[in-house]
Amino acid sequence: MLEISKIDVYYGDLQALWDVSLTIEDGEIVALVGSNGAGKSTTVKTISGLLKPRSGSISYNGIRLDKLPAHKMVELGICMVPEGRRLFPEMSVLENLEVGAFVSQARKAKDETISRVYHIFPVLKDRASQAAGTLSGGEQQMLAIGRALMSQPKLLLLDEMSLGLAPLLVRSLSQVIRQINKSGVTLLLVEQNVHMTLELADRGYIMENGRIVDQGDAGVLLGSEQVKHAYLGIM
Amino acid sequence: MIAQVIAYGIVVGALYGLVAIGLALLFGVARYLNITHGSFMMMGGYVSFWLFTLWHVDPFASVPLVMLVMFLIGLILYKTLFSPLSKLPEGLKINNSMLITFGLLWVLDNAGILLWTSDMRRVTPSYFGAMFEIFDVRLPFIGLGVIGLALLVVFALHLLLTKTYFGKSVRATTQDWEAAKLMGINIDRTYLVTCGIGVALAGVAGTAIALMYSITPGGGLEWLLIALIVLVLAGLGNIKGILIAGVMLGLVEAVSVYVVGAPYRAAVGLAIIVLVLMFRPQGLFTRRTRGA
Amino acid sequence: MAGNWKRFLASGIIVAFLVLLPLLTEIRTDTMSLLIMLCIYVILAQSWNLMGGYAGQINLGLAAFFGCGVLTTRLIWGVGAPFYLAILAGSIAAVILAAIIGIPSLRLRGVYFAIGTLALAEALRIVVGNVFPSTLYPSPDHFVGFSLVPRYYVGLALAVVTTAVVHIVANSRLGLALLAIRDDEEAAKVTGVNIFKYKVIVFIISSFMAGLAGGVFTYYRLSIMPYEQFTALWTFGPVMAAAIGGAGTIIGPIAGCIFLVIVEDWFALALGEAHYIVFGIIFILVILFLPGGMVEAVDRVRKFLVRLPSSKAD
Repeated sequence: MLEISKIDVYYGDLQALWDVSLTIEDGEIVALVGSNGAGKSTTVKTISGLLKPRSGSISYNGIRLDKLPAHKMVELGICMVPEGRRLFPEMSVLENLEVGAFVSQARKAKDETISRVYHIFPVLKDRASQAAGTLSGGEQQMLAIGRALMSQPKLLLLDEMSLGLAPLLVRSLSQVIRQINKSGVTLLLVEQNVHMTLELADRGYIMENGRIVDQGDAGVLLGSEQVKHAYLGIM
Repeated sequence: MIAQVIAYGIVVGALYGLVAIGLALLFGVARYLNITHGSFMMMGGYVSFWLFTLWHVDPFASVPLVMLVMFLIGLILYKTLFSPLSKLPEGLKINNSMLITFGLLWVLDNAGILLWTSDMRRVTPSYFGAMFEIFDVRLPFIGLGVIGLALLVVFALHLLLTKTYFGKSVRATTQDWEAAKLMGINIDRTYLVTCGIGVALAGVAGTAIALMYSITPGGGLEWLLIALIVLVLAGLGNIKGILIAGVMLGLVEAVSVYVVGAPYRAAVGLAIIVLVLMFRPQGLFTRRTRGA
Repeated sequence: MAGNWKRFLASGIIVAFLVLLPLLTEIRTDTMSLLIMLCIYVILAQSWNLMGGYAGQINLGLAAFFGCGVLTTRLIWGVGAPFYLAILAGSIAAVILAAIIGIPSLRLRGVYFAIGTLALAEALRIVVGNVFPSTLYPSPDHFVGFSLVPRYYVGLALAVVTTAVVHIVANSRLGLALLAIRDDEEAAKVTGVNIFKYKVIVFIISSFMAGLAGGVFTYYRLSIMPYEQFTALWTFGPVMAAAIGGAGTIIGPIAGCIFLVIVEDWFALALGEAHYIVFGIIFILVILFLPGGMVEAVDRVRKFLVRLPSSKAD
């Protein structure tokens, strides 16, 4: 279980998050939605250790995350698929996947995990020796997710997965997300695409200007007046 | 006659590639420019020299030991001088790494003069003067040995970077260090080991220099200059093209010495830097413009 | 501002004292030599300070411009030109050199400038050493009636002038642009600042200064071994002085030079050659832990004293 408690996060002297609290239970799909600049990415980056909160705490199954360096997260089973994919452009698809399994326990199961990833995303197998930078946007997103799966995560953080992708592709990726969740992986989906994400998720949090402004059951949020009012047009 | 010039150019060029590869690796991966690189070459040369003089170790055989010693020195260098810079923004990080290593060059070169005097030393094994002759071209045996050494080193580095997990983590860190962190890669440790390897490679170059030329504590700067020319020619950050760039420099120098005379050899290298910076700052082998 | 007033007054008094000194007492030759070298170092340190301290461009080949000034001044003076023309020629030659390496490299990121200047100095050292392998002597009439005093005044005047130039640049719009460039070159570019133009202007001023220092050196030494002035020592010394004193300040380089020249005098007796090593270590420590140098140290001490309950704020 992931618990974020009242974190304030700054970029230098500029405050980006105010008093943000969030919990994710094992096995859930939780949505973190809001418009551009609401602080969603900042929150996820803080969970993954790229940013550190100035106050508050983040714990995962009792372990304090905010005190750990970013590269320790994967060992704990937390893996982020960053905004913009952040693949290693000059390395091949296969090499990107291999690097995903860098952590020692994942390295041992590497071959098995790779075939599982190829099963979920067959196109990656076709492009195995192609440089990651030459893939299409959709293929890159698949590789990014596949690479994250290589670390055998227990908690997967997806930052703006649907950004720049065609709706049809987003829909099929959502199916994949559901599959991944069914296999036992907890998920945090950070998105501007409110509707799709809340349909997929169990629970949701709404962010605005660096604060959580609403939370609850995903279905309830979908129907709420506030969401309809605030995000009409961003569907 | 021209074939002889070209042959020497290739031999010298292979050495130049060897001289540059350690510097290129460290800068390409960690963005630290190690001005002390030349001094570490001299240091490696001295290790080889003492091994040869005291225990008659063949210079080529001494390479692994030289690498080990210099690798450890590289680790110490990173831990003490580079890792304090890691939190700085990239521009300041590069600037400070240059200043610090410039200071370190001063310390090491003068310490070397104190310890070993500025006498020139060279390693002269029994096969020192032996020559090979192929098609009218005479090449020193040592020169061929250095070509072999350079090829071996580059090949070994290639294997390390492509076939091992460590090597892949190094490449990943070079291409996107934040994403690499997210994969569980410890960036600091990656840089630490890379620095060790870079200095170890400087040591290997020094062994070759002690064989082909001579070493003296203040002589590192001249070799650093060569390394820098090769780096600029290949493109700052480019590791793959270093050996070819080195050979190109060797050939251009050899031919131009033939044309304008030996006193101006260094000016040729400088002219190459000016021309490359003027017309193709990203280097000959780098596609993306990383210049301005 | 009241503070500035006091600073100007203090500087003026010190300069006046230095000007009158030779007229008031008989200064020993070695002390005079020390003072002249100090002035040369100050000019070089301020030259580096402009590029490195204010614009954030690290010139690792300062010796190239110094050496060029020395050599050119020696040659032009040697063929019979009056000294003031010779030193001007030397400085202009340094500027030409600056253009050759500056125009290609200043368009690019800072690391290229450092590499380019380092390469320039080292290449010139080798080539000059080959082309001018022996000492260049002046004509005999330059030895007649030789006195260190005019050398002292020329050196002092130029040290004051170059310090004043740094002060003027630092407080001008150019200075503001330089600070922006130093802090974040990419960001400055984005805001539309023509950083190439500013970098080039400052480099021209900086290299001209280094050339002037070279001229003073020739005036002082008369006979020179050309390649010696292109060695890294002539880059390292001023860089170290500027950094230890406080790069990016006006008085820092002066303080650093005084520290360097005086301590070198002491150390040379005690440690011999090892004093270079000590300086190098101090330099490294300063870059790592006290980047503002002596000026920053004094500042911190002052702030600390202000915090003590019995002290009053300035």
